[in-house]
Amino acid sequence: MPLQHQIDVGLRGGRVASRRDFLRNVGAAATAATAAGVLSWTDRVALAASDLRRRGKRCILLWMAGGPSQFETFNPKPGHENGGPTKAISTSVSGIQISENLPRLAKVMNELAVIRSMASKEGSHPRASFLMHHGYLPMGGVKFPTLGANVAHQIGDASSELPSFVRIGRGGQNPGNGGFLGVDYDPLILASADRPPENSRPTTDRARYERRLGLLKNLETSFGAVEGADVVADHKKLIEASSEMILSPRMEAFDLDREDQRTRDAYGEGQFASGCLLARRLLDFGVTFVEVTLNGWDTHNDNAARTAELCGQFDQPMAALISDLKQRGQLDDTLVIWMGEFGRTPRINGRAGRDHYPRAFNVAMAGCGVRGGQVIGQTSPGGEQVTDRPVSPKDLYQSIYTALGINPDHENMSLSGRPIRLVDEGAPVDELFG
Amino acid sequence: MPFCPPAPTLVLAALLVGVLPAAARTPAEKLAQQADRLLAEELGASPGELAPRCDDATFLRRAYLDIVGDIPSPEHVTAFLLDPAEDKRAELVRALLDQPQYGQNWSRYWRDVILYRRIEDRSVIVAAALVPQLAEMLNVGVGWDRIADKFITATGDIQENGATAIIAAQEGRTEEVAAEVSRVFLGIQIQCAQCHDHPWDSWQREQFHELAAYFPRVSLQQVRSPVRRSFEVAVTDREAPRRRQNDNRGSTEHFMPDMDDPQAEGTRMQPKFFLTSATTPLGTRDAERRATISEYITESPWFAKAMVNRMWAELVGEPFFETIDDIGPERAAKAPQTLEVLSQGFADSGYDVKWLMRAVMATDAYQRECRPRRTPDATPMTANVAQRLRGDQLYNALLTALGIEEELETNRGRGGRRQLNQRAQFNVAFGFDPSVDREGVSASIPQALAMMNTPRFNNAVRARRGTMLGELTTEIQDDGALVDELYLRCLSREPTAEERDAALAYRVSVDKRETAFEDLLWALVNSAEFAHRR
Repeated sequence: MPLQHQIDVGLRGGRVASRRDFLRNVGAAATAATAAGVLSWTDRVALAASDLRRRGKRCILLWMAGGPSQFETFNPKPGHENGGPTKAISTSVSGIQISENLPRLAKVMNELAVIRSMASKEGSHPRASFLMHHGYLPMGGVKFPTLGANVAHQIGDASSELPSFVRIGRGGQNPGNGGFLGVDYDPLILASADRPPENSRPTTDRARYERRLGLLKNLETSFGAVEGADVVADHKKLIEASSEMILSPRMEAFDLDREDQRTRDAYGEGQFASGCLLARRLLDFGVTFVEVTLNGWDTHNDNAARTAELCGQFDQPMAALISDLKQRGQLDDTLVIWMGEFGRTPRINGRAGRDHYPRAFNVAMAGCGVRGGQVIGQTSPGGEQVTDRPVSPKDLYQSIYTALGINPDHENMSLSGRPIRLVDEGAPVDELFG
Repeated sequence: MPFCPPAPTLVLAALLVGVLPAAARTPAEKLAQQADRLLAEELGASPGELAPRCDDATFLRRAYLDIVGDIPSPEHVTAFLLDPAEDKRAELVRALLDQPQYGQNWSRYWRDVILYRRIEDRSVIVAAALVPQLAEMLNVGVGWDRIADKFITATGDIQENGATAIIAAQEGRTEEVAAEVSRVFLGIQIQCAQCHDHPWDSWQREQFHELAAYFPRVSLQQVRSPVRRSFEVAVTDREAPRRRQNDNRGSTEHFMPDMDDPQAEGTRMQPKFFLTSATTPLGTRDAERRATISEYITESPWFAKAMVNRMWAELVGEPFFETIDDIGPERAAKAPQTLEVLSQGFADSGYDVKWLMRAVMATDAYQRECRPRRTPDATPMTANVAQRLRGDQLYNALLTALGIEEELETNRGRGGRRQLNQRAQFNVAFGFDPSVDREGVSASIPQALAMMNTPRFNNAVRARRGTMLGELTTEIQDDGALVDELYLRCLSREPTAEERDAALAYRVSVDKRETAFEDLLWALVNSAEFAHRR
């Protein structure tokens, strides 16, 4: 689409361009499109606003549901009994080795920072997944918003027709939602990246659809008056958000067929590859936070073969995503996070599997000011203990918000009027940005 | 799922022994009055705070959705409104509890309670047996204690014995099964003490693992058959040569892991029930072990309280405890005596779930008008609370309102990929874990889109030959009467004067009569009121 192309060019050339230059670029593009009858005046205003926002930071979370093994990914221990059969390979950064399962990521190691010293106490899926999605443990009475919701709330574009927070695939256990921030910050969940959201095509022509919406709005009165004012208000918001989205020309954001074949090939095949490509595409259209899930990491048995297969599913797409963002000049404003709820036990169990192990695991990050080509922290030769620079989930959350330009000390009000900080403990991992 | 296999008659006959009326049974309606009195005393709500009794039309739709999970037809609405009988609400509740859809509605509810917490995705196949079998037990009136016992002691193929659901959903894992059994039947979540002592409660780590020690011999195994893919709940009573870490096969005893050394064998635990400290010797066979813990659980006062708390929350809109399934001696109830009286009555009835529903639905607390969910400092339970319909209820309501049949067949999609039938698709979009706080359940864009744009529903909204609306537009020539009819069909009530005027004004603004009424029907099924039970 030529309009998108022009904006891309404008952005790429002008990351440090002044606001006025930027507006002029967007204006020119939008005028051209309006002349061609594609966009209305309001579309144009919305476009300008959301594209201004695009210069802000964005985030892609690659969620490895089930707890990925550190030994078969970013912290191989070849030669040690605990390391299993997995070998280590050299990367584009001398002195840093990762698992042989990740040959493509090895080539972009210069963009990646790997934390090998993540340490937590939570070894059950629901609690650990909650913790790593929220930066808090579940607590009765407080509905914590999930990471994506908080990011969308802080730096998302409220005027966009697309939701600020999209989740692709089931997010494992307890991935969370808007919590006390409300339905506006719930994720739009897509079961599959290869299909547009289900039922997103109106079944009547636009004029009639809009008339129906008007009638509906008009009728939603008596129920709301006494019995469900809260319910009706939420329902209205939802109908409006949904309608705005599907009537928007930006729905093409969900259409992967509009990506050229070369790009598609670069990301590779499979649901997760499609998810990564869609994530980048959604960011282009003003979405702020995209979570892409890769399931299946709970490798209690046959760990080596299963993790090799799972690595095959994310190695190429994640590497392509980082290169793609880099090439478009977007990596400086886009934080890519790779993580799961915990790691796996150093000792290989009787079924050639690894069990839950929160005491030493890995997180990888790229972009948004994170200095690539480094490893933070280390573990004992057998991977049982963190021996240097332990990083807690709270420290990680401090770092994520800091990278995104969000104040981790920001306080939201919970429903019961209790102030809740984005993160209540810990400190950013300075080495990430040094 | 909608097909009911032949009833397991023998099993049921054996269970029916427990259905005989208990001696100390209190009439449900009498108990309801007592509960209302106590509730007023305990909560001290001023008369001004209390919401008024809801009108008959609201009660009818509420009772239909709560009991049979569907909305009434316009004929039912009219008949009920015109019925002069004083006790027509109680009679309606009795009549609905006799409908087979009662069991179906609530067995789907329990399917969700159990399967939303599954850790093994492949366990969902248990639903095909669980739903009809549990429905049958609920319809016949098997006591809740008997039903719990079936779940706790279940064995066998999960596609044949639906009561294996809890064990199957937890992949037969000792600790997870123990935690779920406690959560579902006692409402007590002791599993937080699994890794460390419970932060807010006095439950100790040992106590959790002593409970788990009732379940080590259970495991979930793949059925070894070339023609059938299934799982079975298997029992290991023979000593294995060597215990292995995290082995999914059953082991004869449970070991509490050593926190500092997860590889070590851990401490062998003797089965002990945390609420009463009753113990069972090491070496006890599985059948006896589980029969024992089942007895301990179903005889505990928390067994009745957990069920009353849950049903009260579903029906009145707010549980006695903060959370529906996090109760127990460590938690404070909002109106402890009311809960006590209801729980005692439920136990005395022989844990008759129909009795419990009749009692709750006869209370003023249930029959009040709805109000938005209260703020934390407002007096609890002064009104009923509008509840979002569960996926199954909403699907049923759509079928009834639009006058269409359920689409039962499972379509083969592109490339022969198996696709979910429509009800299942609906449940994917609209389903939620019934145990979580209703406030935390958010509506979503995919839900709104499914309601607005699903092709089949949109076809059914059209006024043409063979559709409900097509017939109505031909039959009813008067516009006002047709507006009334559509309101009755969708919202089980007549429109208010303003609503009728608004609808008629819209009718005039649109050229074609059919078009106008198609739009009205579309708007009604897409309204917040349609998607809720008030």
